[in-house]
Amino acid sequence: MQVKDVAKSFFENGKEFKVLDLVRFDLSERDFVCVVGPSGSGKSTLLRIIVGLEKPTAGEVLFEGEPIRADNPQVAMVFQSFALFPWLSVEQNVELGLEAKGTPLEERRKIARKFIDAVGLTGFEDAFPRELSGGMKQRVGIARALAIEPLLLCMDEPFSSLDPLTAQNLRDEILQLWTNPDLPPKAVLMVTHAIEEAVYMADRVIVLSSRPGRMIAELEIDLPRPRNRKEPEFYGWVDEIYSLIV
Amino acid sequence: MRAIVRGLRRWLRLVAVVLILAGIVTAIAFPQAAWNAIQLPLFAFFSTTRMVIAYLFALVFAIAYGHTAATNKRASAALLPLLDVLQSIPILGFFPAALIFFVATFHGHPIGIEFAVVFLIFTSMAWNMAFGVYESLTTIPADLEAAAASFGLRGWLRFRYLAFPAAIPKLVYNSILSWTNGWFFLVASEIFSAGGTEFQRPGLGAFIAVAGRNGDVPSIAIGIGVLAAVVLTLDIFVWRPLGAWSERFRMETAPGREIPRVPSPYERFRWLPRLPKVRKRIIARVQPAVERYHRLSMRFERAYSRHPKALREIRRVDLALFAIVFVVVVATGLVGLVQMFLRPLPPNASVLPSAAVLSFSRLLVAYAIALVWTIPVAAMLGESEKAARYLTPALELFASLPATALLPVIVGFALLIAPSVGAAGQLAAILIALFSMQWYLLFNLIAGVRSIPDDLKEAARSFGLRGRAYWKRLLLPAIAPSLLTGSITAWGAGWNALIVSEYIQYAHQFYEVPGLGSLLNHAVYPTPDNEMLLLTILTMIVVVLAMNKLLWRPLFRRASTRFRLEV
Repeated sequence: MQVKDVAKSFFENGKEFKVLDLVRFDLSERDFVCVVGPSGSGKSTLLRIIVGLEKPTAGEVLFEGEPIRADNPQVAMVFQSFALFPWLSVEQNVELGLEAKGTPLEERRKIARKFIDAVGLTGFEDAFPRELSGGMKQRVGIARALAIEPLLLCMDEPFSSLDPLTAQNLRDEILQLWTNPDLPPKAVLMVTHAIEEAVYMADRVIVLSSRPGRMIAELEIDLPRPRNRKEPEFYGWVDEIYSLIV
Repeated sequence: MRAIVRGLRRWLRLVAVVLILAGIVTAIAFPQAAWNAIQLPLFAFFSTTRMVIAYLFALVFAIAYGHTAATNKRASAALLPLLDVLQSIPILGFFPAALIFFVATFHGHPIGIEFAVVFLIFTSMAWNMAFGVYESLTTIPADLEAAAASFGLRGWLRFRYLAFPAAIPKLVYNSILSWTNGWFFLVASEIFSAGGTEFQRPGLGAFIAVAGRNGDVPSIAIGIGVLAAVVLTLDIFVWRPLGAWSERFRMETAPGREIPRVPSPYERFRWLPRLPKVRKRIIARVQPAVERYHRLSMRFERAYSRHPKALREIRRVDLALFAIVFVVVVATGLVGLVQMFLRPLPPNASVLPSAAVLSFSRLLVAYAIALVWTIPVAAMLGESEKAARYLTPALELFASLPATALLPVIVGFALLIAPSVGAAGQLAAILIALFSMQWYLLFNLIAGVRSIPDDLKEAARSFGLRGRAYWKRLLLPAIAPSLLTGSITAWGAGWNALIVSEYIQYAHQFYEVPGLGSLLNHAVYPTPDNEMLLLTILTMIVVVLAMNKLLWRPLFRRASTRFRLEV
């Protein structure tokens, strides 16, 4: 997957507001990439462009050599607000993408169960989203994204509407799922404003400046896993990114 | 629990036996009443059937119209203003024209009248439902929209999983309003004079109206009683469960707001025989077809999206056709209007302004009376659980009766207390307007009082706000938006009531007061005068639209920014 010189502007009253400018990077198999930046750096816009929900003003996003499309079943998305359908049960929510792909009913059910198990929600198949806690909702969101067996998983600040403890648990669980080679996806792209979170999870961190979002740096985090937040090397990375942004 | 139910059942059986015996005795004593008793269930059935048919049409229309207006930006530029006008004009004024049209189309066959009645009820139901669909579709959270797009929900799947469920809460809420509205128009339209003839179809509305004309008090009472029973039964067994069920489709707003888990209509009817074998066979038969249809439509969608240019061309042609039809319709209307005004106006046209003023002031009086009693009552009911528990059912019973059905009762009452026949006519006209307006105010206000957050009420109490200060600083500002919503709907209903309230036949005598409504009646019966009819309707529309644009709209905008309770 290639992001080629993507730029995005909004127009308001004839005035141009540049949100993103000349962002370029590549993603390949087994990459776990985090995009960090201060608020207003256009991180979420970038992600929406990358998954094809919005069109860039300039540049293009190629996925396996072709321009990206929003309904590409190879790319799945996890939302900050969970974006679960309140009128569908957990299982129906997870089956959603499969149904759109045209998977037959029996198979759909089997796959959905498998991923509901994988995120630890066994027994909640028939619950409705409003009956779940925030952490459980995001688990459903993750199961829904994984169920379409995507090559690329995109996550838009997936932990920022959760309480710190739940968020940390879920981070570890995602990393655990990520290390399981039998499970999709092949690559993860996550947007976050929490620098620690990026250093904790990613192999590579892309740092954006604020308004318009320009790429300041692309850093390889070569810390061994599992990472320890208390180690000085960990803090070294966090401090370096901090100084880049401020 | 079960013992209580069993006990209740025994009681019910006893009551049923007593009722049947009483029925037989009255049938022998009063044969006329017995005839009514046989007729009335049939009439109730006919009337309800008309309502159901009109409602189903309105439902399909609302979904199609709302969906188109929400998804097609260019079409919405024409669809929304049109809906706005349709919603605010008093439709009852158009009924004579529609009736004549349908009767002529079917060469005088009664089916034409049925079509006209169903059409009228449809027009009283459809617009607010369509607006409800439009509003819900344009307020779907952006993330949910994005999730649907990124998981590939398109076409039918998107409608089924995203658009339709998202529209359900507002659709059900507006359906309940529309249904109430529908009764008002049903009763008014089952018996109607137009073009020098009188048209009548068997139904509860016609029964009550005929009883009123003859001054047959027992029949009036029985007719209204049966109507109330039908309205309440449907309310309890259909609308209330549907309303509770629709909560399930509400987007989550404030956390902590408990939404009860209500059984769906399907679960509610669990006691019906389920016939598992038959069901399985049907499902086995239907399921492959459904899946095949899904896959086929998905293949189509995919094929479509591969040719965006052709798609855009088709859309452009579509839009052009729509625009042409729209322009032609509007142009013919305008030409007709200009032609009419170029000819010399009929001599009675000079009474139009004074008639408008008279009608308006009658509505104003009714509105004032409604305000005076509904605000304190709503405050009381909204604040006190206990009062609400005992009073709400009684109020709902009263409100369930359309003002058109109460017409004979109101006239009879006015004749009793008014000093002269002329005064009785005035009083009756105002009372009918009051009865069609007040409930909209009351129930909107109650909802407004209920929606004041407890925090605010407690804060007001803890700072010692009491009495007038409490009203001035908290209650009145907090209910301002719902007061306005209620007022707008109430006035809409009032204008429609005008048409039936100014020219009434009761106990073989006519009671008439000068105004737009009576002008309208004179223009259709007994001497049809199309020009006058059109001018009267136009005057009414101009007044209503002027009021909406110059009074309600600006007030509403101010109220919704200044007095909104942010969550």
